[in-house]
Amino acid sequence: MKILVIEDETGLRDSIEAYFTGSDSICEVAADFSSALAKVSLYRYDCVILDLTLPQGNGLDIVRHLKENGRDDGVLIISAKNSLDDRLTGLDLGADDYLTKPFHLSELRSRVMAIVRRRAFNGSNNLKFNEIDIDLDAKAVKVNGTAVKFTRKEYSLLLYFIANKGKVVSKSAIAEHLWGDSIDIADNFDFIYSHIKNIRKKLVEAGAKDYIQAAYGMGYKFIVA
Amino acid sequence: MKLLTKYNRINVAVTVIIMLVTGIIYYYTISHILTNQIDKDLVLEENEVFSYVSKNHHLPDVYESNHQQIAFMKLGSGKVKRRFVDTVYHDLDEKDMEAGRALISSVNVSGQNYSILVTQSKVETEDLIQVVFLITIGVIVILLVVLLLLNRIILKSIWKPFYKVLSQLKGFSLADNASVNSTPSTIDEFTELDHAVTSMADRVKSDYQNLKVFTENASHELMTPISVINSKLDTLVQTDDFTDKQSKLLNDIYGTVTRLTRLNKSMLLLAKIENGLIQDIQQVNMREVLEDSIYQHEEMILQLGITLKTKLGNKLLNANRALMEILVNNLISNAIRHNYQAGSLSILLDAEKLSIINTGKHAFNFEQVLKRFQKSDGSEGIGLGLTLCKQICDKYGFKLQYQGDKDSHVFSVLF
Repeated sequence: MKILVIEDETGLRDSIEAYFTGSDSICEVAADFSSALAKVSLYRYDCVILDLTLPQGNGLDIVRHLKENGRDDGVLIISAKNSLDDRLTGLDLGADDYLTKPFHLSELRSRVMAIVRRRAFNGSNNLKFNEIDIDLDAKAVKVNGTAVKFTRKEYSLLLYFIANKGKVVSKSAIAEHLWGDSIDIADNFDFIYSHIKNIRKKLVEAGAKDYIQAAYGMGYKFIVA
Repeated sequence: MKLLTKYNRINVAVTVIIMLVTGIIYYYTISHILTNQIDKDLVLEENEVFSYVSKNHHLPDVYESNHQQIAFMKLGSGKVKRRFVDTVYHDLDEKDMEAGRALISSVNVSGQNYSILVTQSKVETEDLIQVVFLITIGVIVILLVVLLLLNRIILKSIWKPFYKVLSQLKGFSLADNASVNSTPSTIDEFTELDHAVTSMADRVKSDYQNLKVFTENASHELMTPISVINSKLDTLVQTDDFTDKQSKLLNDIYGTVTRLTRLNKSMLLLAKIENGLIQDIQQVNMREVLEDSIYQHEEMILQLGITLKTKLGNKLLNANRALMEILVNNLISNAIRHNYQAGSLSILLDAEKLSIINTGKHAFNFEQVLKRFQKSDGSEGIGLGLTLCKQICDKYGFKLQYQGDKDSHVFSVLF
């Protein structure tokens, strides 16, 4: 998986780069408009993570450039602006998704993975991880061929973990993913614990390995066996 | 008291007093002049008697006229002091008693003293004074009526610009975009007032606008550093093993950053609503919004063992969906957060209104809580939730109502 991060804020760019660089992916970065434009003109990416406010230019022009040249690289816009104008313009121009700053890296990764998956699998939209097989259209999970029933939140959380496999996902990131940012669950992470307990129980009972581990009381990690 | 009333009151009082004083002076002057006139007549008659006596050495015959009477009386040794007196005049023809004026004097006829009493009727004088008085009263009344009417008309038209400025000031609101229009006037004072009011309104508006823009920009600018902190934290937790103490610290930082983010987002949203930047109106099915929100809150409802009752009718609204979600989420979150173990929560939706009824721990002051950063005791929120709800309701012309006491709270949104 090849990712390009276009972001002028050094701190954020470095963090994203570090988070996305791993065994199965390559992450490149661009700090300003011209170098970004040069990179997208030269190379192809599975997904471009794009900040809208760039020195010397508007990120939306990069989306326009990609579309005008018939490129089908995935585009995820990240911006501190969440005015609906930007969102609509970006999505109208052909961006795949929009994430408002600030966000958790795990959320970013799960959105990027979704975009990459959508582009990679044409037709059959299945996600396979060892013995776990997920039909993304039907939202159905099978372990070793046996259907396992998950609730909406458990299913969403399982996908989130698989997208961030091998990473520690913090409880706040999980809370934000499950409940959104408009619901304040007020530091009450008991709910997360019970959802995770259910997922582990269901997976293990269906014969899967126990992939989810608690990580130092801060979060959880989906281990890559 | 209205200016016109006050002005009229003073005007009428002064006019009446001046007129009364004038009338009184008038009355006494005329009455004095006329009495002098009569006195002269009386002296003339006395002189006639004196000259008759000195010529003929006996008293003249007493004669009667219809305005003057004369009478003589023998006197003893004493003399009579010559004087004028007000008396009563007996009119012989009409057998009437009239006001009269008399001169008492004395004359010596061949060593015998006689007193003379000449009396004259004052009836004509009185009539004259009466006419003068009536005319004066008439003039006062006419003058007052004319003054009142004139004042009314003139003041109404002269003060028109003032009332126009006043009504604009009354209708002045920082939130709406209409500015105060200039009211032209030919009167310097009003022109000055108008200039002062318009420039004040413009200044206030632009200050307020700047403040709003500043709030929005500040919140915006804060998002970037917050997202850097967030991402650094996410990166940090990937690194190594942490001790319990370290992970406790990290958890606290995570929690605080989340709070900061939420606070900042709320402030940004408030600024946006107030700046009228949120458009994107679409048809929103409130029932779906409510069902989503209830689903999102199910863990909390379950944990507290709250009995949930819902009666959701269909209601379509033209609004921004994100705002409707925030409104509903905030109201339901509050209803759960301020609830107690095994309490109850009812959510009712029909075409006219949405009602959220919950049992609760504390009584609180609704008006107070609507203010920014005002929290009821024991609230864990950031203190902007209800402010946001109120702003959203205001934006779409809904009415946010609260009824409640110590134990039960009812929040209603009237569409």
